[in-house]
Amino acid sequence: MHPGVSPLVEVEDLHVHFGASRAVDGASLQMSPGEVLSLVGESGSGKTTLIRAIQGLQKPTSGEVRIEGKARAGHHDPRVQMVFQDPTGALNPRQTIYDIVAEGLRIRHDRGDELEMVKGALSRAGLRPPEIFMPLYPHEISGGQRQRVVIAGAMVMEPRLLLADEPVASLDASIRGEILGLMRNLVDETGLAILAVTHDLGLAWNIADRVAVMYLGRIVEIGPTEEILDGPQHPYTRALLSVVPETREMEQQILKGEIPDPTRVPTGCRFHPRCPLLQSGTLSGEMSVRCVNDDPGPVAIDASTAAACWPVMARTGSAPSA
Amino acid sequence: MSGALLSVRDLHVTYHTKSGPVPAVRGVSFDLEKGGSLGLAGESGSGKSTLAGSILRLLPRGTEVEGAVVLDGRDVMSLNPGGLRAVRWTAGAIVFQGALHALNPVLSVGDQVAEPMLIHKTVHGEKQARARTVSLLERVGLPAARADSYPHQLSGGQRQRVLIAMALACDPLLLIADEPTTALDLMVQAQVLALLAELKREYDLTLVFISHDLSVLTYACGRLAVMYAGRIVEEGPSRQVFEDASHPYTRGLAAAFPTIGDMSSRLKPSGLGGDPPTPGNLPGGCPFHPRCPLAEDACLPAEPGLRPSGIERRAACILV
Repeated sequence: MHPGVSPLVEVEDLHVHFGASRAVDGASLQMSPGEVLSLVGESGSGKTTLIRAIQGLQKPTSGEVRIEGKARAGHHDPRVQMVFQDPTGALNPRQTIYDIVAEGLRIRHDRGDELEMVKGALSRAGLRPPEIFMPLYPHEISGGQRQRVVIAGAMVMEPRLLLADEPVASLDASIRGEILGLMRNLVDETGLAILAVTHDLGLAWNIADRVAVMYLGRIVEIGPTEEILDGPQHPYTRALLSVVPETREMEQQILKGEIPDPTRVPTGCRFHPRCPLLQSGTLSGEMSVRCVNDDPGPVAIDASTAAACWPVMARTGSAPSA
Repeated sequence: MSGALLSVRDLHVTYHTKSGPVPAVRGVSFDLEKGGSLGLAGESGSGKSTLAGSILRLLPRGTEVEGAVVLDGRDVMSLNPGGLRAVRWTAGAIVFQGALHALNPVLSVGDQVAEPMLIHKTVHGEKQARARTVSLLERVGLPAARADSYPHQLSGGQRQRVLIAMALACDPLLLIADEPTTALDLMVQAQVLALLAELKREYDLTLVFISHDLSVLTYACGRLAVMYAGRIVEEGPSRQVFEDASHPYTRGLAAAFPTIGDMSSRLKPSGLGGDPPTPGNLPGGCPFHPRCPLAEDACLPAEPGLRPSGIERRAACILV
């Protein structure tokens, strides 16, 4: 968050429960215009459910999503657009690039100049000159260009927020860079904000201003990318970073097992059954009891840097919201 | 080659499709000594999985294969079906990607791990097979009771462990791991990589590890071979190849996996333009030249072969 700028997105104490399963269990975050926030977490952390709620595809059990200070407008809020993972699956093979990009405008019955808007979106997505691409079909262009078409289809709606779910995971490694570069440019040049959901910490290092780490339905650590990826505080973030093959300096902390079932969220700190810090035996008896019994709570909505971890909060003398 | 458990010589693999012949592997040679590990890196269409499949002749009928593959002293290309069966699972076994479709949905995972032992008669009867299955499952980190589970009851990480146990069933000398961690989360990936490293030591396995992820291969293997358009374009000691590539393609690929904490890649994603070429339609000359930031006229006339680019290193680029 940039101080003094009114937030573009506010997610406040969001809960999405499916029966006994607490997929999102008290997540809060804010985003400013013109920033990239990378939401990092493993399968089962609730990150996909969280962005579905921000997109309006998933009704929250409680809590609220606000865009520019107002609750989001139904299912089709043009201010929020989504970029899917697999560009080949996301594009209709029988439609031309022009029709694919224009589709959102037609659904919205936009009265503007469709041709100009499509051309503008294709150009912004790096498909220049747009006239060359408009009559082509998806199979006639490269994989990287297909992902650019997906991005153009979102950009034509002139969104304020782009939700990107693993935007480069299905692309060949050598193509990743140009798509990430495009996303970063759109943010820098147009003031768009991007919430990029990923399990790829290298992606966060490449494009994100801030990183939020999600575990079992909650954000457990948030802060500027350099701070979180270069000096993580939460034991979960530390363990995740230690096993990234590209960071060799840290001693590997391989956690046992997998994220617990969200129908059975552990008591106390939800990470405590897997926590290497707790298992290390270096915490005081009093602290250990607290980790097992007391929930440190989620990080606060306006936290600039925070970790929901009792020992970290004791060390830094902060609440999770500080 | 003496001392090599696996020796591949001038291997060519061509698929015959409706739209004509598709050369997937175009002249690959390498040796792997017993106990060694080789990482095969490449993007879609590079030929890395075809190469892996040809080591145990697991390619579709009608595929044209030329060249030699010698595994544990046996020429795999000239084996009759009986000889081939004897080599599969016992001399060499494959760990497939742990997606749901790699396992039979209507058989318990225990029965699937036991199957190769019973077929190859490496155990005496079902009771012994069951005992070995349970010990293998425990060795790969699954409780014995999991033997009675069905694939859909397991997580992706657990399924990958089952596939590893299955590959070990007949004590193979060579393990070929084809994208064994690709669909897995970071922490589960680390668990599986650590398990493979332990098993490799424990059973003195020779390992061929295939992945699109150069950083995983660098971590898991001693040597690295980077494939592009059906050929090895660079090979050498993993860390050197990853950190100081000789071939411009390897450099571009390595840059796609930024080192966290390295400020030169912070907010600067880097990669190559264009797509990897389709095997049926390769550019002339050096097949990488249309995407190469260093391409010059001299790259156009002929495809460069591998040439020395350092100690125990080779690269296929005229600029080396």
